[in-house]
Amino acid sequence: MRMPETVDRAHLTALLADLPAEQGQLLSALHRVQHELGWLPREAMSIVAKQLKISEAQVYGPASYYAEFRLDPPPERLVTWCSGPSCRILGGDKVRRILESELGCRLGGKSDDASLGLWLGQCNGTCERAPQIWVDGRVVGPLSLAETVRLARRLKAGEDVAPAPDGAVQIESTAMQVGAYPDNEHGS
Amino acid sequence: MTSAQPSAMNATGNAAYDAMAEQARALRESRDRPTRPLIRFDLTTSSVAAGADALLVDLRAALAGSSVEADLITVGALGFSFAQPTVEVHMPGKQPVVYGPVLPGQGADFVATLIEGGEPNGFDPIDAALGVRPAGSTLNAAVATQDGIPPLHEHPYWGPQVRRVMEWMGVIDPDDLDEAISVGRYAALTKALTMEPMEICELVEAAGLGGRGGAGFPAGVKWKFLLGAPGPLKYLILNADEGDPGAFVNRVLMESDPHLVLEGLAIAGRATGATHGFIYVRDEYPLAAVRMQRAIEQATARGLLGPNLLGSETSLTLELVRGAGSYVCGDELGLIASLEGLRGMPKIKPPFPAERGAFGLPSNVNNTETYANAPLAVRHGAEWYREQGTESDPGSKMFSISGTLARSGIVELPFGYPMDALLLEIGGGVPEGRMPKGIQPGGPLGGMLHADDLRLPLERPPFAERGVLLGSGGLILFDERTCPVDLAYYFITFCEDESCGRCTTCHGGSQRITEILDRIMQGGGKESDLELLGVLDRTLQNSNCFHAQLTPFAIRGLTRFFSDELREHIVEKRCRAHVCSGLIQYRLTDPQHADLELAAELEPSGTLVRDGADGWKLSGRGAEQFGLLPEVAPDAVAVEDRFIALLDEQQPDHALAELPVSAG
Repeated sequence: MRMPETVDRAHLTALLADLPAEQGQLLSALHRVQHELGWLPREAMSIVAKQLKISEAQVYGPASYYAEFRLDPPPERLVTWCSGPSCRILGGDKVRRILESELGCRLGGKSDDASLGLWLGQCNGTCERAPQIWVDGRVVGPLSLAETVRLARRLKAGEDVAPAPDGAVQIESTAMQVGAYPDNEHGS
Repeated sequence: MTSAQPSAMNATGNAAYDAMAEQARALRESRDRPTRPLIRFDLTTSSVAAGADALLVDLRAALAGSSVEADLITVGALGFSFAQPTVEVHMPGKQPVVYGPVLPGQGADFVATLIEGGEPNGFDPIDAALGVRPAGSTLNAAVATQDGIPPLHEHPYWGPQVRRVMEWMGVIDPDDLDEAISVGRYAALTKALTMEPMEICELVEAAGLGGRGGAGFPAGVKWKFLLGAPGPLKYLILNADEGDPGAFVNRVLMESDPHLVLEGLAIAGRATGATHGFIYVRDEYPLAAVRMQRAIEQATARGLLGPNLLGSETSLTLELVRGAGSYVCGDELGLIASLEGLRGMPKIKPPFPAERGAFGLPSNVNNTETYANAPLAVRHGAEWYREQGTESDPGSKMFSISGTLARSGIVELPFGYPMDALLLEIGGGVPEGRMPKGIQPGGPLGGMLHADDLRLPLERPPFAERGVLLGSGGLILFDERTCPVDLAYYFITFCEDESCGRCTTCHGGSQRITEILDRIMQGGGKESDLELLGVLDRTLQNSNCFHAQLTPFAIRGLTRFFSDELREHIVEKRCRAHVCSGLIQYRLTDPQHADLELAAELEPSGTLVRDGADGWKLSGRGAEQFGLLPEVAPDAVAVEDRFIALLDEQQPDHALAELPVSAG
């Protein structure tokens, strides 16, 4: 299941070609690579270093520092547990323990076959739906503990518990996506 | 401050701007007095979390198939997070009505009932209506009851608000520059462009605009520092790294009225001589980043940003930078390190940013909401600005309220507004007749307050007196079901996780605090722990940045305002809220109860097992960690204090048995 660790060097180099060669472009460069590959393989970081004319250590340091940059391939299905305070006071910590137990992976880890991963999420300010989790970026909540168990078992069985609606455009970020964001016809 | 006509209609004297405003006039007219049904659809992170994206697809399909011609625009948030998804219907000749929640799947019924005028079927308009909103500005005068629906001004959530920054939020399309201009965005910029830079700084200082990130430092003074710094190149930085969990003011602002924020930056550019700016948005806010980026492009294309703003000699180019998940990047010196492509470790100051900021050049960092207030001060003047708020904190403030509240969301109120009125009346208080226990203001570094302090006015001084921070506007109410020791532990683990690692006092100190709290929560607390926590607090003060120095605020809140409960944990090994799983135990009071069948099926610990043909028993501990049994089988399970139950067994006449066993 693991993605190949070799990367298309020419493709990545082209992806970064317009960035000025300076340390200040590092976050932009890493975001681009992670958006493309889903994570930051070692080889990709070396391409970033070459493009920005900085050392690999200057890439690896920040890449390993920021929580949203991933040094491992992502799971096929990502469950993000919201760690926010409103979730906490409404039973969020019990939600986490249930997820860890039912999904069979610790927070920050993946199931053995890498089909499911459980990550820690930082509060996105939709606290009216606490306690909540995000399944592939879509908010699911508020959750009772019984609902959490059932949801976790459906996820474990490979069900798509929170499908995105048809006809909507995805807004992605490394952290989460705002579900499917229908494109605005009135914008330019 | 009530005005029926947006002042954008008045010529500013700037030919380029006036032409744009004139062009936008017809759009404003069609939005304020539509000639065919107009639907305003709240499309923000909060509504999408409630299924608004599915509802929108649904609504558009229903409108496409309808015999009635109607318009649908997407807008930002009015602030009713608790009633998401919210949708507004503006019928010709009437005032707009806000509905919520409108559930995904109700799109066809919604259109049939409200747009086509059919009989209510799957959608009950009276039931779902939040109220009638005056057309145009939300500052406009109250309106009358319409078709049996009361005005929004009578809604407890809406009535007390003073919407200055939020005036057009949830009304205008955030992706539409013409609509932004039609409500006067960038009009204050035209005025600023006719003023001397120092004059603008003086005006902003006279208005008393303080930093909205929490420190409250006067923005005008900060701008003067940068104005006085040597050029030619100086930077503006917008801090939209809103990392305090439970605070979502900046997100809603950027998602709903991005041009107000950009106008504030342009004014700051004029005032300080900075010609380039960075907008640093946390990566957890993708929609805010998309809308801000789009707004930058639109404004730049029209000459409202970029070289020679509106034909003047002032220039400001803006660049959006996405963070990557690091709380300390909300500290201005952490943010600057992050902009430079380094680990987000707050630099050591001095030098301050105005001397040597991003990339070694003079820089000014302000919060998103601070910049958004600047156009208001410039446009209406210092006197108007000070009509709201207090001496220490002039103006109004956006607050995000959440926790155990009936109504969570975003509101704007004058500084000094009583916190109990905000949380208990606007927010509707704690549901189901429970009692509020405390308030968590200002994020993980803000500390905690007891419910006895609910009446504090929302301004910085009374909070500071109690050793807590009002912070950036996030307020979380918690009730008797919350354990303050658990909450303090939660905040310290957050601070530990987010420590950048520079100072051993911080990363080591916060780690020690979590270990001590964890031990207390497992029943291993000692009286000497209190002293130890005090030592660690003093140690953390010897660190570089506020992150470490404020980390012990949670502990101070715990020891000052919740000392009873902390002592119960340490001395009696008891958690009255029954949250700390190490201090409680479950006991089956009715082993034959039918609910236990379901509980056993769901119980993750596997400790609920068959006992004979028709009964159940708990085989050991484990279920307490998951909390499922009392939820699924409340009539069959008792939650007991573990250590008191143990004592009862071993020494039936111990003194602790006299204590009330449970308050929760």
